[in-house]
This record gives sequence, structure tokens and C-alpha cells, in this order.
Amino acid sequence: MSLIRLWNLLVEYQDVLLSGIKITVVLAVLSMLLAMVVGLIACLGMLSRSRILRAPAVLFVEFCRNTPILVQLVWVHYAWPEIIGVKFDAFTSSMIALAMQSSGYLAEEYRAGIESIEKGQIEASQSLGMTYWRLMRRIVIPQAFIRMVPGILNQFVTCFKSTSIVSIIAVPDIMYQAGLIVSATFLPMPVYTGVALVYFVLVFLISSVVRWLSRKLPMTSYFHTQQHAGV
Amino acid sequence: MPASDPVIRLDKVEKRFGKLEVLRGIDLAVPDSTTIALIGPSGSGKSTLVRCINHLERIQGGAIHVGDTTITADGLERGGRRLSAGDIARYRAGIGMVFQSFNLFPHLTVLGNIIEAPTGVLGWSKAESTDKAMALLRKVNLAEKAPDYPATLSGGQQQRVAIVRALIMDPRIMLFDEPTSALDPELTGEVLRVIRDLAIGGRTAIIVTHELRFAREVASHVVFMDGGLIVEQGAPDQVLGSPREERTRSFVGRVAH
Repeated sequence: MSLIRLWNLLVEYQDVLLSGIKITVVLAVLSMLLAMVVGLIACLGMLSRSRILRAPAVLFVEFCRNTPILVQLVWVHYAWPEIIGVKFDAFTSSMIALAMQSSGYLAEEYRAGIESIEKGQIEASQSLGMTYWRLMRRIVIPQAFIRMVPGILNQFVTCFKSTSIVSIIAVPDIMYQAGLIVSATFLPMPVYTGVALVYFVLVFLISSVVRWLSRKLPMTSYFHTQQHAGV
Repeated sequence: MPASDPVIRLDKVEKRFGKLEVLRGIDLAVPDSTTIALIGPSGSGKSTLVRCINHLERIQGGAIHVGDTTITADGLERGGRRLSAGDIARYRAGIGMVFQSFNLFPHLTVLGNIIEAPTGVLGWSKAESTDKAMALLRKVNLAEKAPDYPATLSGGQQQRVAIVRALIMDPRIMLFDEPTSALDPELTGEVLRVIRDLAIGGRTAIIVTHELRFAREVASHVVFMDGGLIVEQGAPDQVLGSPREERTRSFVGRVAH
């Protein structure tokens, strides 16, 4: 009975699988944190009035969004050592590539949030004597952030799923461990089915939290935030 | 500066949005402690004019003198020195502005809205700012709303909070950009009362308004604009009661019906 076989296999290799899950989760979280910072810098660059700051920021964001994640991963891991002269381990390369991909989308997400703030808010702040940085920090970004939360969390879901490709450069995530188990057992069906289930459960859990939060946010905030479309 | 000099003086001010000429050479002097009512049909440039005074809009020609500061197409200068972004912010802090759409900060409480600039811009302590804010809120009968968020207030209440938010900075000049146009008719009275009794209070004020009766009551001077030009100006009774220009007559007749 294949279900029993699947269960036995999962139990037998639980340590390996758990360590794979741990790598996947840590990689997704770290990449996302890095992407949030890099995305913010890129976003501020895009919003800058100075062309010298804006042009590279726009180029960076467009590059990140318009190259496949697999290409970015391989490029960072195998080409960067020659370009910048530093060789990263597979985990670090994966983190950089994933953060790069997400930061492009996050920068756009931030920008949309900031630009959604009504002009009247900025004018009122200016008329009260606030400087650009003060009004961004105190008035615009706090309001924009609440509107950005669903988008940021959605990007985390995407980033989490994207981690599955890092096995290609031998990062020992779930996918990679599964490949090892398959080579040891010659049982691709139960192993890959198990992996699919593990991803499904994890991503579904995160997505559910995102959906719940997205519904919750406009109500806990004291003002009318547009509800973002489905997760 | 001698006391008789106007606080605000506009000298052939021109403003364009692309090809559209919004202000076509405006000359206007606003003496100290006077209240000017700016009236005119929509699109006449009156809102743009007040927005140019605190530099929310740039001008393309002429000059605006406010105290010892001069605004030209090149920016702001004082005593021959160009003002930095920080100087411009301080300049704006001395001019209170009330908007048609209130523009309260939705993520801050009523009290938070009012003390944001005194604490952040003027560097007052929170306690001092709160004391002054509460005193002003009591004067507009909204003290009990201090902990509430703007979204829970009526339009008239929001606009009174916005007036208090401007007044706590103790500005020398107050600008009102159609302060009651977004309000239901039954709510305009409470706002106009606050403007008259509290906000003007000896300050130099410019009020863009469609409320001609109110203009007549509070203004020392009424300016009628049309098509980016000042068509007629003078004492309220003259401009609103017996206008000289045909365009003024037809506008006053239409609005006052």
C-alpha cells in the first residue's frame, strides 16, 4: 500500500527531511529580510529626484524582475567569483540570488504603497513645516506600510517557493535531501509526493496567515485601506 | 521693516501648469493684520494663488514678498541668500494653512495630529504641546475627541481640528483654501465661527471662499478673480454690494442668489 510506504519512508528519513525543511525555512526568512532592506534602498533610489541615484535603482529593479531566478542563482554562484573576485558558499549565493529577485518586487511594492498616499497628506505636512525626511518618516511611510503588508507577505510566499531551486547548486534543502533519498532508495514516487506535501502544508500555512492578516489589517487600522486582491 | 508695509505683496505673479496660464500677472498687497477674502469662479486661480504663498506651488514669473522672504521662479531667498530645504520648511511653519479636504493624518489621533508639528518641528516638549493643544481643542468644543481618530469625526469636526493643528504653531499668517467647500451646508456654520472667532484673531489672513456673506462679515478687503487676473478689489460692501465690473456683478449675482 503506497500510503503506508510513503509514511514509512517519511519516518525513516525524518531527520534528513527535517534538516532540509530547516534549511529551506532559514533560507527563505534570511533572503526575505535581506530583500526587504535592499528593496527599501532601491525604492528610495527610484523615488529620488536625483537622476544619478534614480537610474541605477531603476536598472537594478528591472534587472531583478526581468531575469529568471534560476539564471540569477547560477549567475551569482558561478559568474560572480570572476566578476567581483569573491566565491560564496552555495547557501550564501542562494540567499543573495533569492534576495535579489525579491528585492526587485518589494521595491515596486514599496513604491506603490508610498505613491498611494494622497498628495494632501504631503502638502499638509509641508505646510506645517516638516522637511522631506520628517514627513516621509512620520506621515507617509507609516501610512504606506500598512498598505504594503499584504504585498510583502505575498512576496514571502513566492520567495519561499523559489527556494526549491537552490538544490541545483547543492544547498541541502528539502528538495536536495529528497534527491539524495531517491538515489538511495530508487523510490521517486513516494519521496517526491512527500516533498510536495511538505511544501504544500508549509506554504498553505503561510498563505493562510497572509490571508488572515490581509483581511484583518484594514479593520485594525483606523482608516480605509484598500483591500489587496487575493493571495 | 516699517509697520505700514504689507506683510504679503505679490508682484506680477505668473503661474502656468504646462500651457495653461493659471495666474497671469497678479499684483496684490496684504497689509499687516488684515483679512482678505478671495472670491471668484472655479478655475479663476484663487486656490493656486494662496498655494503659491507658502510655496506648495512654484511660480514662473514675478515675485511674492512675505515679510523679508522673497519667492521667485528661482526659489526662495532672504537678504540675497537662497533658502535651503530646511529654511523653506521653517518659512512654511510660520504660515498656517487650512485645506478644503482637511488633510488630517489618518494614522494619528486628534491630539497626535495637533502636536505632531509642535513637537517635531518646533521642538516643544510633549507635555507643553499637549497642554496647548487641549486648550485650543476646548475653544473649538472638541476636547473630548482628543483620543479619537479623524475617521470617526464629522467633516465639520475634522476641519476644526485641522484649524487647531495650524493654529498651535502660532502662525503670523493664515491661509484658508475653501475651508467649507467640502462640508455639508449644516456644518459650515460651526467652521466659519471658529475661523472668525479664533483663527483670524489679529493675524494676517487670506480666505478663498464661496461664502459671500461670510466674506462680507470678516474680510477687510475683498478680491475678485477671474481667468487668472484680479478683476476688482476693494471694501467688502463695495465689491459685493455695488460691484463696478460686469464680471463681478454677474458672479456675485449667481453665487448670492
